[in-house]
Amino acid sequence: MKKLICSVLALIMVLSFAGCAGNEEGSTPSENKVDTPSSGNAPVVAEGYVFNYKGTKIPVNENFAPILKALGDPKSYDEKPSCAFNGKDKTYFYGSFYVATYPDGDNDYVSSVWFVDDSVATDEGITIGSAKADVEKAYGADGFNGTNAYIMTKGSSRLTIIMKDDVVSSIQYDAVTK
Amino acid sequence: MKKKSVVILSITLCLVFLSLWILQQLLMPKYMDNTKEGALISEYYDNAGNNDVVFIGDCEVYENFSPITLWEKYGITSFIRGSAQQMIWQSYYLMEETFRYETPKVMVFNVLSMKYDTPSSTGDSGKREAYNRMTLDGMRWSKHKWNAIQASLTEEEKTWNGEWMYLFPLLRYHDRWSQLNRDDFKYLFHRDQVSDNGYLMQTGIKPVTGEHPERPLADYTFGENSYYYLDKMVELCKAKGTQLVLIKAPTLSPIWWDEWDAQMEAYAEEHDLLYINFLDHQDEIGIDWNTDTYDTGFHLNVYGAEKLSDYFGKILQEECGITDRRNETELAEIWQEKVKIYYERKAKMEAATQ
Repeated sequence: MKKLICSVLALIMVLSFAGCAGNEEGSTPSENKVDTPSSGNAPVVAEGYVFNYKGTKIPVNENFAPILKALGDPKSYDEKPSCAFNGKDKTYFYGSFYVATYPDGDNDYVSSVWFVDDSVATDEGITIGSAKADVEKAYGADGFNGTNAYIMTKGSSRLTIIMKDDVVSSIQYDAVTK
Repeated sequence: MKKKSVVILSITLCLVFLSLWILQQLLMPKYMDNTKEGALISEYYDNAGNNDVVFIGDCEVYENFSPITLWEKYGITSFIRGSAQQMIWQSYYLMEETFRYETPKVMVFNVLSMKYDTPSSTGDSGKREAYNRMTLDGMRWSKHKWNAIQASLTEEEKTWNGEWMYLFPLLRYHDRWSQLNRDDFKYLFHRDQVSDNGYLMQTGIKPVTGEHPERPLADYTFGENSYYYLDKMVELCKAKGTQLVLIKAPTLSPIWWDEWDAQMEAYAEEHDLLYINFLDHQDEIGIDWNTDTYDTGFHLNVYGAEKLSDYFGKILQEECGITDRRNETELAEIWQEKVKIYYERKAKMEAATQ
């Protein structure tokens, strides 16, 4: 009888703690966690598509503080509250491109960069207004989605080049989320 | 001897499960002080039944519509089953579950969540799980909850049987013991009511100062999975004899693209549904973006929500045939108490924000 009770207790204990194995991050979405997004979104410095503005590299998923220091004051700034979470997504406008960030702990990390005019270019020389042929020469045709965009992923970054009438209309760098 | 053993075993098992249940209650987040959005879903069960209108959806319902105003102005009984970043598959199963408790005349679904096609498309895993928790943990045990959990799992979560973490939250929260605070003990067996029939009040004012930048999309087409659940909503409401009304709340961000609006208009026409994009009616509603938002246009505050509810109440009355029930004595008494709580909350919050 005692053996049976002990077995039941042991089984319940095992089941109670089984969650640790399943959750790779070991984080809990508790109230504290909700205040700051999960540590599962920790910055990942990986090889990928990186926007380079006048010598300042702006990789996605990278801590934005030193980048902000290098870029200087933006022309405009916007905050986006997220439902329930205390942290804010932020957007910085530098005249020819936007940088958007997401909060994680005390820091903000780059979530995306997108161009708004043809005064900035990718490392491969593609700007808004570039021709389709130039895009394919720079990146190949593998990323074409069959309709209107080239979507290419490298490491934890994604480069999206949107076409309109065979001309580039938008260029966006994104963090790839898990 | 054998009988005695069975009794001892039974008592032991009961004690063990009771202890585990209490432990789970203790360790689960309470959402009473911060992040009240997490407490919304569970508040429905004490208010289920006798609602003519049930709202389902994300923050665009629980922040922007006031059931108290609908009652005060039109005698319409309603409840909002909203939660933060509620996904369309969660909305569907909440709708299914709602029909277990009552058959409202109108179901209102806010269509913003159509933009998320799959669990993986909703952002990083940590944040998404926290949002899932705010919807799923508040649901009572049922097949609807189980199905909602299954639909909410990413492919990655499925590989390690993530559903069990939702089904038995203790598995997820067992290491939260080091974060326990006073509220965890205070709210061990009960919760305060944080909403007014699902409406989460905000009294702050933060005017719109400019446009919130949004980048263009490569593809504006809503995904197959989103349409799958919208189709299921249509079928379910049709089977129950409930009118499904699709809405888009009049908030300025996240942006509601014209291409999305066109798809919803076409869908509504095809399925003979009423679809109202309140963004097109801002002037008629009387929204003043200097005074009616608490976060620069992402959500309305209580002043904006009251205006929007007043506007929508008229539509519910005139176009959906919802009748005034203020002359039902027993019901009126219940709602009078709700109205009292609402204005007490409003006064308290206004005093705190001044």
